[in-house]
Amino acid sequence: MTGRQIRFLTLVRREVNRFFKIKRQTLGAPLLETFLYISVFGAALGSRIRELEGFDYIVFIVPGLIMMAWATNAFANNSSSILQQKFQRSIDDQLSSPASPLELLVALSLGGFLRGMIVASLTFIAASLLVDLPVDQVLVLIPSLFLVGFFFASLGVLVGVRAEQFDDVSFAQTFVLQPLIFLGGVFYSATLLPEPFETLTLFNPVYYMISLVRYGFLGVSDANVGLSLGLLALATAVLFTLNLRLFMRGYKLRA
Amino acid sequence: MNGVSTPALEIRDLVKRYPTGTEALRGVGLRIEDGEFFGLLGPNGAGKSTLIHCTTGLAMPTSGSIEVFGHDAVDHYEEARLAVGLAPQELNLDWFLTLEESLDYHAGYFGMPKRERRERTAELLDAFSLSSKKDDRTRTLSGGMKRRLILARALMHRPRLLILDEPTAGVDVELRLELWQYVQRINAEGTTILLTTHYLEEAEQLCDRIAFIGDGQIVAEGTSTELAAAYGVTSLEDAYLELVGRKELSRAKIADVADVAS
Repeated sequence: MTGRQIRFLTLVRREVNRFFKIKRQTLGAPLLETFLYISVFGAALGSRIRELEGFDYIVFIVPGLIMMAWATNAFANNSSSILQQKFQRSIDDQLSSPASPLELLVALSLGGFLRGMIVASLTFIAASLLVDLPVDQVLVLIPSLFLVGFFFASLGVLVGVRAEQFDDVSFAQTFVLQPLIFLGGVFYSATLLPEPFETLTLFNPVYYMISLVRYGFLGVSDANVGLSLGLLALATAVLFTLNLRLFMRGYKLRA
Repeated sequence: MNGVSTPALEIRDLVKRYPTGTEALRGVGLRIEDGEFFGLLGPNGAGKSTLIHCTTGLAMPTSGSIEVFGHDAVDHYEEARLAVGLAPQELNLDWFLTLEESLDYHAGYFGMPKRERRERTAELLDAFSLSSKKDDRTRTLSGGMKRRLILARALMHRPRLLILDEPTAGVDVELRLELWQYVQRINAEGTTILLTTHYLEEAEQLCDRIAFIGDGQIVAEGTSTELAAAYGVTSLEDAYLELVGRKELSRAKIADVADVAS
């Protein structure tokens, strides 16, 4: 293994180790949260709604919950990890190492990506035990989930780098991310909404992400799958490029 | 020391201007030879830490050049940073990590293979009397132990240039003496050392040469005797007091006044 490979793996290992050290908070709590959603919305609400777009209500919402688990965990991990390291100045140990801005960025992004993947995978396994969850379009599902994970991991990096206090991170999570996810159609189909809310939903990027993941699982989608996938890939690439430019400039990391 | 060898650190006309407009470094020039024990003294805010941060990649220079063993610290930062170990002034340890992990990760960032990391970690934990605490999280350590760990971390990748930014600030006498002995030993073994400190006796006893930095510029440079002579005084302390404009605090002058009064 070359020195560069050792360096990169160490940077990733540090991020993974961080969330495993506080696994009750970083893995346990999100799993419990997803179970509560399934219980409350699936069992309680599902008994009244019955079916949506030809599927049991609980089956209809699980793809959105899996996507939400990956997205929120990827975001939360990276934003808080970076801010915490900036706050302790322990990030200086990495910044003064020979690691390039690209290596640092990819490693930090992967931390959240992997945490999101673990929580989403556990959610998928648990949901599969509870309900009969189909996987209809696996070739759409896997790239969609990976792109969603990487998009939110990159967004977490951006917010973490820009943040100067913990309030900045929680503001982004509570007042921007959660509303976009909840109003993106995790728990309902946008076609059921009255106007102007149905049209407004079309301006929410998370709506297309949920539609993609739902299409991957159930084979039904409100949105154009090809266009959504292309736009998601483009948005992820743009966000990653923006982060890379910030890392190369040392924005809010190096004085 | 060989005058024609590549210097450990060569800084030319270094300027650092922060976005606020503050000019922390105003054309700094400095050359530290391979194997030297070099002291950088100056009051708070003189630019010592900024100079160190520019050298180690924690700050981006506005203009000028920095070379570490001939490698440009900006354009060829990988080679330059491989050669530098930094023990910063702040106790910047990761609270989540154990002592062993702190050292292991640092060595990993510098590309050291696993077996070498393990051996070096054990060696340095032992050298700094931290072996019994290796599985403890860093946040549980006392200030002195954190200081030792930071020094051990800086040494993990066997840097050729070790930068110590006020390493003995707030540590007890025995630890200070321990640190002195250790850095003197590694300097004798060939490691170049750049030390910033507010303890003048520390600089006087340890350093081959000393530079005074004031208001973002190197204002004087030489051995402690040469610096005293340059300011027309008899000690490094008096020369320093001249630098900061507080010569009325000179112990020699206070003693003279006391003699006259008695």
